[in-house]
Amino acid sequence: MSRALADCAPGERRGQDFPVITTTQLAMYAGASDDYNRIHYDQDYARSAGLGGVIAHGMLTMALMTRALTDWAGHDGMVRKVAARFVAPVRPGDVVRVEAVVEAREETGAGNNVTCTATAKVGERTVATMDATIAFARR
Amino acid sequence: MAEIDRSLVGAVSAPFVVEVERGAIRKFALAIGDLNPLYRDVDFARARGFADIVAPPTFPTCFRPPEEPPWFAPLDRRRVVAGQTWFEYERPVVAGMRLTCAIRFVGVDDKTGSKGTMELLHQQTEGRDEAGQLVFTAGRTTVYRSAEQVAKASLA
Repeated sequence: MSRALADCAPGERRGQDFPVITTTQLAMYAGASDDYNRIHYDQDYARSAGLGGVIAHGMLTMALMTRALTDWAGHDGMVRKVAARFVAPVRPGDVVRVEAVVEAREETGAGNNVTCTATAKVGERTVATMDATIAFARR
Repeated sequence: MAEIDRSLVGAVSAPFVVEVERGAIRKFALAIGDLNPLYRDVDFARARGFADIVAPPTFPTCFRPPEEPPWFAPLDRRRVVAGQTWFEYERPVVAGMRLTCAIRFVGVDDKTGSKGTMELLHQQTEGRDEAGQLVFTAGRTTVYRSAEQVAKASLA
């Protein structure tokens, strides 16, 4: 069990496993995010795009990575910055695991900022990486 | 081969207003599978000091202009994949906000990777509240793969 992020020192880690990605989820995400690129829900179109079949929205992967951090932070943490780099596609049937680590902890006038990096993986394959800063008000 | 119109670098889209709705936030939270009560429960969010339910940090991805900006509209969607995205917040986006957003065409880089050539299109979006105060800035790098690369991969 990892400690609350607000109390963590550099080097502390936390991992989170997400439910299997489904085509239903990709359709839901297309609607909710208003992103109707057919590479995310039309198999023939995605194959014609050289992708070998539909792929998940990068932004869905980013949402999972962000959640791994906000779940760790709890409701006292406020996301100041999240930045994701997409490395490889995620497909229906994939199970994403996010591994996050605290990189730095900095006192501010109002409390402290915790900087983290995170890696999203499907099995051993890295699919995306993230840098983030979460602000915590002084308690 | 440069295909994205670089004469438009530096251009900014017409401002567009986004009314941040509770229903849109809840639907987005459900789609990403995040049951955080801050995103769903008004009383819970208010008890934590927010004016209304809070939007997940990646929510502004759905703030889209009524028409795609001229540097993006002509692109073949088959060739578009996500490269990088970031969000920076001055404060959280909450339901009830009325945000004025604009997208800036930051630039284009050429890249040659193991699978062929591509262009990297950089855009930045700002969202301001009704007082004109900055709420968030978002950046997006879109990978535009060459037609050749896509054709080759589709036959593989």
